[in-house]
Amino acid sequence: MLIALLELDEWPFILKVNLLLSIFFLILTLLFVGLVLYLRIQKNFKEAHRKKQETKFIDFANTFLFDDSINKSKELANFKFTNIKSSYDYKILIKQVLIFDENLKGESTALIKEIFYGLGLYRFLLKDLNRKEWFNKARALFAFSKLGIAVPDQLIMPLLQSKRVELKQHGILYFLNTSKTDPLVFLDNLEGRLTLWQQVLIENSLKSFEVEIPDFARWLNHKEDSIVVFCIKMILSFNQFQNIPFLIDCLDHTSENVRHQAIQVLQAMEVPEALQLMVAHFPEETAANKRSILYAISKIGTYKDLQTLVPFIHKEEENLQIDFYKISGLFGDEIPVKKLLNIETITKDWEDFQEYSINSSIGA
Amino acid sequence: MQRILIIEDNPMVVRSLEFKLKKEGYEVVVAEEGRQAMKLLLEETFDLILTDLMLPFVTGTQIIEHIKKTYPNIPVIVLSTSTQEDIITDAFKMGVDDFITKPFSPSELSLRVKRTLAKQ
Repeated sequence: MLIALLELDEWPFILKVNLLLSIFFLILTLLFVGLVLYLRIQKNFKEAHRKKQETKFIDFANTFLFDDSINKSKELANFKFTNIKSSYDYKILIKQVLIFDENLKGESTALIKEIFYGLGLYRFLLKDLNRKEWFNKARALFAFSKLGIAVPDQLIMPLLQSKRVELKQHGILYFLNTSKTDPLVFLDNLEGRLTLWQQVLIENSLKSFEVEIPDFARWLNHKEDSIVVFCIKMILSFNQFQNIPFLIDCLDHTSENVRHQAIQVLQAMEVPEALQLMVAHFPEETAANKRSILYAISKIGTYKDLQTLVPFIHKEEENLQIDFYKISGLFGDEIPVKKLLNIETITKDWEDFQEYSINSSIGA
Repeated sequence: MQRILIIEDNPMVVRSLEFKLKKEGYEVVVAEEGRQAMKLLLEETFDLILTDLMLPFVTGTQIIEHIKKTYPNIPVIVLSTSTQEDIITDAFKMGVDDFITKPFSPSELSLRVKRTLAKQ
């Protein structure tokens, strides 16, 4: 019967196709299962190797850190020779060095760095920094910045121009963590927008700085608006009152965002000298900046300053009119604030008010 | 030999503490999580407990409360990453003898252990 079954020539065509496909899919399934098993076994081996390496390293590092009786350089060389065979081994050790550095301080910090250099991890990471793949570069940058280990600036500067946000971010972190004298030097070479997240990151790092906070006026002429905006904010955060004249100059900046930030900071720093320029710019300003100027007047100006702006708030700028009424209210009973109450007639009321305001200022 | 119980889940920190304290002449027992620590406390006696606050299953705070209720004479040192003032003051209110923040200096920790044990 088996022989009869194997006489394929006598089989109908459809059965032949069926058999062929069955064999094909059986082989495919076997290959797939084999591949899954192979990957699983390989992963298990890798995992076991990682655990073994970690244990070996922790024991070695503890002996190195706490046992003064050993010959440290000999132990380092010995460990390197016997235990580091592949780039995977290097990666395992780098991670462990970072964990040690994160948990220990004091006399151990210098010894951890000694291990880092002695095992050739510095050289390995330098190679990573020169590799094509962005994740290798990012990993190297992360390790250098965490350990506070400086590498030649020319290797890092190009990364600040990277299109990968992660690389740029790690580049910024690297400078913040490693530079002892000029931690914001990277701003000179930074291209592209400084995101709000990056601004927060820098500001937080600055708060824990042990070195002198840099003078932010240095970057007020930067070609990237977001950097100028950030520096204006920092002038306020770090009370750099000596930079007020430069902030006033920012009111003439070509970027709307820079002018906006300058108005807000000058208001917060309570600089009445800036008011004259703000009022002069009011007619040409954008709606958002006009609004900021109105609020600046509420803090550092007078009702008279406010009144001079009335002709430049147009009847279609209803939001500004509301803001104007609100701010006028802050100056007491000098104007009829009740007009604000009827939103239906606000435009007509505004025209009346403009007339009233101009007449009263002529009268005054 | 004075016995120290370390309750900590970070293997690197455990091994370092173990290494350093054994070198200083203490007998060290390790519990990697809260439940194991509770069991050890029932079965064995210790002269000092060194504990983390963030632990799996039973938190460091619960362990401290238990120790202070059941074994009020055993001194407790907290080793934690937390630098928040309220967490530190809460720990002292519960009766801990010392609070060390991570990253820590092993030499300083060893001195604090010695000083706490000397007070007993």
